[in-house]
Amino acid sequence: MILLESIIDGIRDIKDHLGRTLLQLVGIILGAGSIVATFSLSVAGKAASMEYYRVSGGIQKIWIWDKPTGKVTLDAKALASKGLTFRDAEAIKRDAKDIDLVSPVASETMTIRYREIEKPRNVMGVVPAYSPMNDVHAAQGRFITDGDVQTAAKVVVFGAERAAEFFSTDNPIGKTVTINGTGYQVVGVMQEKYFSFDHKRNVLRWMNRQIYIPITTHFTRKGQSLDRGKVSFMNARMIDIKNHEEAVDQIRKVLHREHGVKDYEVLSRVANLKRNESQNRMYDMTFMICGIISLIVGGIVVMNIQLASFNERVREVGTRKAVGASPAQIFGQFLAESILVSVFGGFIGLFVGKLFTDGIAALTRDPAAITPDTIVKALIFAAGTGLIFGMYPAIRASRLSPIEALRTE
Amino acid sequence: MSALPEYIEESVAAKALIQLEEVTKTYDAGENAVQALRGVDVAIQEGEFVAIIGPSGSGKSTLMHIVGCLDSPTTGKYWLDGQDVAELTARQLARIRNQKIGFVFQTFNLLPRATVLKNVELPLLYAGLSRGERRERAMSALERVGLGDRSKHRPNELSGGQRQRVAIARALVNNPSLVLADEPTGNLDQKTGSEIIDIFEALAGQETIVLVTHDPTIASRTGRRIKMVDGRIVNGELE
Repeated sequence: MILLESIIDGIRDIKDHLGRTLLQLVGIILGAGSIVATFSLSVAGKAASMEYYRVSGGIQKIWIWDKPTGKVTLDAKALASKGLTFRDAEAIKRDAKDIDLVSPVASETMTIRYREIEKPRNVMGVVPAYSPMNDVHAAQGRFITDGDVQTAAKVVVFGAERAAEFFSTDNPIGKTVTINGTGYQVVGVMQEKYFSFDHKRNVLRWMNRQIYIPITTHFTRKGQSLDRGKVSFMNARMIDIKNHEEAVDQIRKVLHREHGVKDYEVLSRVANLKRNESQNRMYDMTFMICGIISLIVGGIVVMNIQLASFNERVREVGTRKAVGASPAQIFGQFLAESILVSVFGGFIGLFVGKLFTDGIAALTRDPAAITPDTIVKALIFAAGTGLIFGMYPAIRASRLSPIEALRTE
Repeated sequence: MSALPEYIEESVAAKALIQLEEVTKTYDAGENAVQALRGVDVAIQEGEFVAIIGPSGSGKSTLMHIVGCLDSPTTGKYWLDGQDVAELTARQLARIRNQKIGFVFQTFNLLPRATVLKNVELPLLYAGLSRGERRERAMSALERVGLGDRSKHRPNELSGGQRQRVAIARALVNNPSLVLADEPTGNLDQKTGSEIIDIFEALAGQETIVLVTHDPTIASRTGRRIKMVDGRIVNGELE
């Protein structure tokens, strides 16, 4: 009952002194705004990168590249190492027990011709594991099969964009294309992959611009033996991300055993994610601390104004006490007022936070999303500020002796 | 020095609404200590209309504040309706002020931003009454003082006499056992002041009223006068 009256009083107070109230609330508005911006950007950013990882093969994915060693003195085995080979892929699949899928890729630019269209295009020699590894599947026909790899079949699968480029409206399946002068039969067209952080650029477009042949066919055309076949890069998939360090270690051990020199690089998405996370956490913390400092400063201003208004209202407090307000009722009334004013500030802060968020999102093209969760958090922070900094004025008012209060001019 | 002859004190002790014994009040303990009350004994019965008179600085307002539970005695005892006030907590004192006492001040002490109705409702708000009940009782209190048509006004839209009548309505709204008025006509001209005393006179008999005044004309209209000089009661009985 009294709380309700206090709230009505408080709202009238805000209305009567809107300008003063807004000035008083600048700190809380900015503080709540920063908190909204922090959470919105951080939550959305994280969700977007997780989504990106998901559509492009999951965070279990590990990248393995060649990395020329800087060493000058090399032993015979190290000198013999030609970098990543198909044999390495087999060895990893066999010996790294935390790995369930290995996808070696041999990539090279070749000349593709279909009827009168002839263009140099990148061609990837792959194994069937490529499809689950990158979560890219055939939309028409089929992908490269184990049979294709075993027989070094002259078959080819087109990425969505490449299929459109060479075949336009024709159905590519069953057609024959010439790659570096040899005929290949088109057996499949891949689905179109799309992912964008900013709703503008498709970051998975490269997947749509691939042309796939069996990796063995690739080696044969280049005159390389199967186990010596040069691999451009490999992906491996770990079984359980809890063991991501072990999985990476096992790959490193196998490669070191095969190569005798560290001429490779292994990078897991989990490790990458963790590194990004700690970096993002730093940004989040910085923003968050700014928000909290704003709130503290805002809280001190609220406290000062409450104290000032308390001095203005000493007689009022005295009158209320004379007619029977208990200390607890006066305390509640003052506290309710400062919480109300702060929540009002927090509410305005939501709109300011929306402006911050939109502004930053527009500048950095990062995704941003204001969730109900964020709104609740910002309002709770604002209310908490009002509660903490309203405490002292409320205690002072409640302890005021009625007779001294009434004597004040 | 006892305010009452002993035989009277003995017989009324049990029923007196207000009973003070050897009450002293010292402000600002230390070198600048001011002894506002130097041992006051007084008993006021239910239904009495009493004036406390005396020159300024004689301690009459202090006495009034102690009687009204706004202040507590430095030494001595005060029973209100048989209850030893010294034993009460701040919360219980607030409840007594709310339920048993109605205050009328010289400077009215109305909340400037609240309407007349809200001002009169204030004691009922702290008593925890519902909105509808508050409104009803406040309106009837306003009608008792002849201001039923001013309920929506703010205090600054009223004359001094009207403001004091609002304050009286506020004092009466919770049906207190005791109405205390501290120089209620002090800020009013003689005619308006006289009208305010008319209201108190009309209430006398139904309510116990104690008013502080330095105006002998007003004092003469009450049923009993208690004269104070220098922190003591000089004659507790009718002159």
